[in-house]
Amino acid sequence: MTLSRADEINRQARMRRWAAMAEPWLYLSPALIFIVVVLLVPLVIGICYSFYKFSAFRSEWAGLDQYRTLATDPVLYHSLYNTLWWTAGSLILQFFLGLGLALILNRAFFGRKLVQAVVFLPWAVPTFLTGLTWAWLFNPLIGPIPHVMYYLGIQKEAVTILASPDHAMWGPILANVWYGIPFFAITLLAARKSIPTELYEAASIDGATAWQQFTKVTLPFLAPTIAITVMLRTVWIATFADLIYVMTAGGPAGSTETIATYIYVSTFKTLDKGYASAIAVLLLFLLILYALVVIQMRRRLMRDM
Amino acid sequence: MRKFALSMAFGVAALALSTASVLADTTVQLVEVITSPQRTEFLKGQLAEFEKANPGIHVDVVSLPWGEAFEKFLSMVQAGQIPDMVEMPERWMGLYANNGQLEALGPYMDKWDEFKTLGDRAKQLGSTVKDTQFMIPYGYYINAMFWNKKMFKEAGIDGAPKTMDEFAADAKQIAEKLPGKYGYCLRGGPGAFGSIQQFMDNMAGKSGYFNADGTSIFNEEGAVKGLQMLADIYQKGWAPKDSVSWGFNELVTGFYTGTCAMLNQDPDALIGIAEKMNADDFAVAPWPVGPSGKAYPALGYAGWAMMSASKHKDETWKVMSFLLDNKQNLGWAKTVGTLPIHNGAESDDYFKTEQFAGWFTELKDASKYELTTPPTYLENLGVFYDSQVPKNFQAVLLGQKTAKEVADTWAKFLTDEQQKYMAAHK
Repeated sequence: MTLSRADEINRQARMRRWAAMAEPWLYLSPALIFIVVVLLVPLVIGICYSFYKFSAFRSEWAGLDQYRTLATDPVLYHSLYNTLWWTAGSLILQFFLGLGLALILNRAFFGRKLVQAVVFLPWAVPTFLTGLTWAWLFNPLIGPIPHVMYYLGIQKEAVTILASPDHAMWGPILANVWYGIPFFAITLLAARKSIPTELYEAASIDGATAWQQFTKVTLPFLAPTIAITVMLRTVWIATFADLIYVMTAGGPAGSTETIATYIYVSTFKTLDKGYASAIAVLLLFLLILYALVVIQMRRRLMRDM
Repeated sequence: MRKFALSMAFGVAALALSTASVLADTTVQLVEVITSPQRTEFLKGQLAEFEKANPGIHVDVVSLPWGEAFEKFLSMVQAGQIPDMVEMPERWMGLYANNGQLEALGPYMDKWDEFKTLGDRAKQLGSTVKDTQFMIPYGYYINAMFWNKKMFKEAGIDGAPKTMDEFAADAKQIAEKLPGKYGYCLRGGPGAFGSIQQFMDNMAGKSGYFNADGTSIFNEEGAVKGLQMLADIYQKGWAPKDSVSWGFNELVTGFYTGTCAMLNQDPDALIGIAEKMNADDFAVAPWPVGPSGKAYPALGYAGWAMMSASKHKDETWKVMSFLLDNKQNLGWAKTVGTLPIHNGAESDDYFKTEQFAGWFTELKDASKYELTTPPTYLENLGVFYDSQVPKNFQAVLLGQKTAKEVADTWAKFLTDEQQKYMAAHK
């Protein structure tokens, strides 16, 4: 009798422990189910596709064939190089111009609200329209840019850079910079506004110059935001095919083909979504590696602050 | 009790009536894939007329922009969102017909009043897959030579070129004599292969894509010369630098703005050009002949097809046969810029102008002009056009690859496809 009572007490204690352990998971379950259904299931399906060879209405098991083809595909290596160039070019210009804009907009001046509204406008324009507009701007028959470049002596003839394999990538990069500056401007302006003004007052009492205030106060405080926004934006730009596709369709002669446009072409033009999935898995792997490096850097920055 | 029976009878009658009206209202979904605002508006006007004449049948139009139509329509079909009727470009027919997605139209056509005036070409070109009529063309896009009379005169040239050698010499003379102007509006971007095939066939003196044994003709000596001729025109500056990525819109703009003096296009381009140019300043001549004395202009076409998964086949045929009848087809041809499908349409006053002369000469003189249609029965023809051609052709124009290298790549792809097809249809 005594034993069974002790057992009962133990059982109840065990149940309470289980309930305590399960309770947070129960609260989290809607979010977890959502993540599994919306994120993980398509991801797993996508990875599974990379082991098949597809045509429009058929598919067959291909094992690791798609990955073997990847390893020897010269177009892939060229696309990887272009992806790096497209991502770095867009990101660096977007970041520095966005940071400059954020610092300018942080100061009070006449008409600031109007300027803010105008500056943030590109972010609201659909990317398809942005691509078309910039393609027209570069078109010498109807657009001004080639003529301006010709009169400034930058070009020998008023022709579009989009037709030159050596310079075509600058077209989508410039369009992307125009489109992406507001992202950095908005986030960095918000972060800049959260820095206490007392710090700047103390720095000026100590005789710090404007540059010293920027490097010793502004930058360290902005650094964690910079790390996270740069990481997010890198991933977005690297996987972003719309502008390139609308403006150059990856041409001329594949000179603006990136991994993202190559995935698009493999899926919809070559009709092999298995190969497209294998390329996407590779891109996912590279971006995860990159994100891990940036997150590690951000941790260090936070620790040093 | 009697009251109850009466009200039940009324109820059943009302239900039957309402069900009948629901049954009578059928919606036919139509997907158009070569779109422009004017053409969609015209199509909707035709369908409004159809609905008025056929109460109870509604037609729901889905318009896909041509640039992304291939992938969008394929995604729709793969996802099971299959319409009743689709505008079918010739290059897609092999893909959908070989995979059982299209309904055979023969049984419907047998009972069609307008069948007797339908031109033989429509029957022949709509049944290239499995000898079965899977689509009915609504018109033809035949390439011919637009030439700018004013620019020719300024460059001191009398009349349109008649041979390929004259064509190259004229292109050179115009580019050299008129500063900032070019001889040829070259198409290097999307949809370039029609023109490329014409140059390659003309110089090879051979029609079509294949020899009788199923090997492609495109890497034979003459064909390679044709491809090299295009590369020379571009590299020597007789075509605009930008034309390496030009598609249809840029070509038309290049011609009507007087940037380049010659254009290889179908009647589709005439609509935009006629709007912007004085009719006396340009004309359309037949395409120049090659060394063999023959020319092989590309004949493209699109038409209407019925999806085999359609649940409203009779109603869909009603819509299709209405759009393809003599009267509607003539209006369509004039609006969208195609050559009509019914016999006798060429005697219409609209087509008796200098601008249409080039196309009708090509149509009439079969001994000199062999119209070349793509091998629409090949399943991967769309892949060839959209994936293989643009990148490789641009590489030739930019001097990154030789004409022979690229011709070999194309010939291998097409030969493999043709051999696969021949093996399956022994």
